[in-house]
Amino acid sequence: MSPYIEVEGLKVSYDGEHLALDGVDMDVTENELVAVLGPSGCGKSTMLQVLSGLLRPIAGTARIDGKDMTRSSSDRPRVGYVFQDHRLLPWRTVAGNLELVLEAAGIPKAEWDVRIDRYLDILQIGQFRDAWPMRLSGGQRQRVSIARALAIDPAVVLMDEPFSTLDEVTARTMRQQLVELWQESSRTIVFVTHSIREAIFLADRVVILTKGPARLLEDVEVPIGRPRRYEDADITELESQIVDRVMGVWGYEEPAAA
Amino acid sequence: MNAASTPAAGFDIDVGPVRKALAFLAAIVLGVIAWQIATWISDGWIPGIGEIIDATRDSLLAADTWEQIWITSKRILIAFVVSTAIGVAIGFASGLNRKAEAFFRPLIVIALATPDPLYVIIAILVLGTEESSGVIALTLALIPFVVTIVHGSVKARESQLDEMSAVYRLSRRRYLGQVLARQVTPALFAAARTSFAFAWKIVVLVEAISQPRGIGSEIYEQFRLLNAAEMIALALIFIVLMRLVDAIVFGGLERRLLAWAR
Repeated sequence: MSPYIEVEGLKVSYDGEHLALDGVDMDVTENELVAVLGPSGCGKSTMLQVLSGLLRPIAGTARIDGKDMTRSSSDRPRVGYVFQDHRLLPWRTVAGNLELVLEAAGIPKAEWDVRIDRYLDILQIGQFRDAWPMRLSGGQRQRVSIARALAIDPAVVLMDEPFSTLDEVTARTMRQQLVELWQESSRTIVFVTHSIREAIFLADRVVILTKGPARLLEDVEVPIGRPRRYEDADITELESQIVDRVMGVWGYEEPAAA
Repeated sequence: MNAASTPAAGFDIDVGPVRKALAFLAAIVLGVIAWQIATWISDGWIPGIGEIIDATRDSLLAADTWEQIWITSKRILIAFVVSTAIGVAIGFASGLNRKAEAFFRPLIVIALATPDPLYVIIAILVLGTEESSGVIALTLALIPFVVTIVHGSVKARESQLDEMSAVYRLSRRRYLGQVLARQVTPALFAAARTSFAFAWKIVVLVEAISQPRGIGSEIYEQFRLLNAAEMIALALIFIVLMRLVDAIVFGGLERRLLAWAR
């Protein structure tokens, strides 16, 4: 069976001279939750941008469900994207933000209300349906952002360090709920993070990248049963193993002589 | 003294309606005193407050004043609407598209530096002293202000919201209306208000130079007849009217469209 998401030899350059991605490979099967792990600035977000059709690579392929995401065509699958910051329109209410993407996704208007209520309820923010986003807390805004990504029935949900700006307790709650949501709704999720523990806690497989320009370093299965706790000894042990393996590769270079 | 609590820190300290009214009153009284002093020093060339009040009352009671105001207001309205529409369109185009920017930028820079009377003179040379020449001169003089404000604001838009719009494949119409226009709404208000404020300042000049009727030509006429009090009275009436329009129309709209920011 061919993988649902197929990334092969992906090379990206913003300026035509320096590479941001140097030939990344990654496969994801349908309904899998995969974490992409790499140090800050290695190009993890760049890969998501290619997968969502925002950015054209200079070489390589990125397919979702067999469709080339690097070409603009109308039959590209829909992608839900949760950014590091919420990226909601502050002048539209919570429901108004969801309506905008539902319309763009071609979902019939008759279904909007039901969908909006459903996803806001799943994310436990139903009471904020008619609130202005800027009146909500950071965690609540990010919940709206996740509801927005799910509401359009995307083929894939791409998440770019969505919890990194939240406080620790909120982040833990949201990680837990993301796993539950994924188990209930069986979606294909690619979750980008620089936190080794977060990657292990969430995913069944962790795709580890080198530091930038990124290449695939390792593809690690997470053999830890669910439900998991963030403090589980198994997680700590796997974390320290991965730390040992990436330290040399991610470690900082000697500063160049001036 | 009342015991209202005051914010410990912050840039925007709300002083309350009573203090605001007192401050306003103090400014008016000071202005009146300064004016009266100027009257005494100028040996009567500058009319006193009493004379101005009389002239204002007479002007307000004269049917002709209102006709002149109507003529001038019509010119302002047409020039304001057309220049704002064209200015916003050029501002958006040049803010979104580098080629459009390269094309319009030098034109706008030149237009901004062009003295207003020049527009009037050129319009008269091309069209004669028709009614339209004044309005066209006014429109041309206003467009650069609108373009400059809108262009800057569109350029400074949040690229992150552009990305969001692209990922979720918002239609061009929705992007322009819901993402871009709403983002630059404060700038659009600034542009509209600037355009309006300059419109009535420049219209007086345009009318004084080119038109037989209107508040501007009336002010100029009174100036030629050395009727300083009448001249000031007309200007005063028009200033109050324009401020009222600004506060009611723009203020009301702004409160509604920017409700989310409060």
